[in-house]
Amino acid sequence: MSSSVLICDDSNLARKQVLRSLPEQWAVKVQTASNGLEALEILRSQTIDVLFLDLTMPMLDGVGVLQGLKDENIDCSVFVISADIQPEMQSKVLDLGAKAFLRKPIQVDVLTNNLQQHGFI
Amino acid sequence: MTTFNLNADQQDCLQEIINVAMGQASDQLARYLDTFVYLKVPSIEQVNAQSLSNSLSQDQQSIAVVSQGFFGYEGIRGEALLVYQPQDSDRLADLLGYEPGELSVEEQIIDLSSILTTTFLNVFASQIDNQMSYSAPRLLSAGVSSVSEHLQQLSFNWDMALKVKISYQVTDYSFNCDMILLIPESAITNIKTVIDRILDEY
Repeated sequence: MSSSVLICDDSNLARKQVLRSLPEQWAVKVQTASNGLEALEILRSQTIDVLFLDLTMPMLDGVGVLQGLKDENIDCSVFVISADIQPEMQSKVLDLGAKAFLRKPIQVDVLTNNLQQHGFI
Repeated sequence: MTTFNLNADQQDCLQEIINVAMGQASDQLARYLDTFVYLKVPSIEQVNAQSLSNSLSQDQQSIAVVSQGFFGYEGIRGEALLVYQPQDSDRLADLLGYEPGELSVEEQIIDLSSILTTTFLNVFASQIDNQMSYSAPRLLSAGVSSVSEHLQQLSFNWDMALKVKISYQVTDYSFNCDMILLIPESAITNIKTVIDRILDEY
C-alpha cells in the first residue's frame, strides 16, 4: 500500500524540490498545501502518513501546524524542511514532535537517509 | 509591478533563493547576538533609482547606512546597503551587549552589517552557482545628502534595485533594518538566466 504524503510550503519551487527529491522506490500518493491552514484542513479530514513541513509561511507557520497536530491529537510523521536553521528553532520543532529537521535547499541523499532511518523506505 | 518584470514562477524562485539566504543570515545574527531571532517571510520589491532617492529623502531624520560592494562571476555585481532607522541603531549597543567604550556605535553597526551582508550574499551566490568577493563596508555619515552623493558615485549604472525588507524580531527587542541590493541591469539579466535554468530543472 502506498504512503499518503503532504508537502506544505508557500513556495511552489520548494514544493517541487521536495517532490523531485522523493526516493523512486517509495510508493506515495502526494498532496500539497501552500500554507499551514491549508495543511491542517487536509490533516483533519484525511489520514496523512508523512508531512514535509516548511516553517516560515504566511497565515499559519510550521510551528503552528505542529502545535495544532499536538493539540488535536493527529497522528502524522513530520519532517521539517526549513531555511530557518537556528539551533533553538531545530530543538523547538523536535520538542513539538517532528521526526527530523532538514535544512533547505533539500538534498536528495539527506532526505533518503532520514526516510530510511524512520523506516519509511 | 512584479520584481524585475519576472513572471510568477521566476518571482517564486527568487523568493525561495532569498528565503534560504535570509535563513542563514538570521542564524549568523542569532549566534552573534546569542539569542533567538523570529523570522517573517521577507518582502521583496523592485525600486528604481528615482524612487529610492525619494524614499531616502523623505526620511528627514538621520539614518545610518552601511554600504558594501560585491563582485561575482559573469558580471554579477552590485552594492548592498543596510539602512537603519534611529531607534534601531540606538538599540544596537544593547543588542550586541558590548561594554561601554569597547567599540563605538559606528563600529558596531559596521560589524553587524558586514555579517548580514556577506552571509546573505554568500548563500545567495552559492544557490546561483556563483561566488562573491566584497569591498570593505563603509558607514556613510548620517544624513540623506551624503547617501545620495554616495549613490551617484557608484562605479556602475543601476536603473533598478532589489529591496529586501528584513525584519528580525529578537525576543527582548524589536529590531528592523532594510537591506537594499543595487544591481546593474546586466547582472539582473544574468540572474534571470540562472533562475530560468533552475526552473528548467524542476
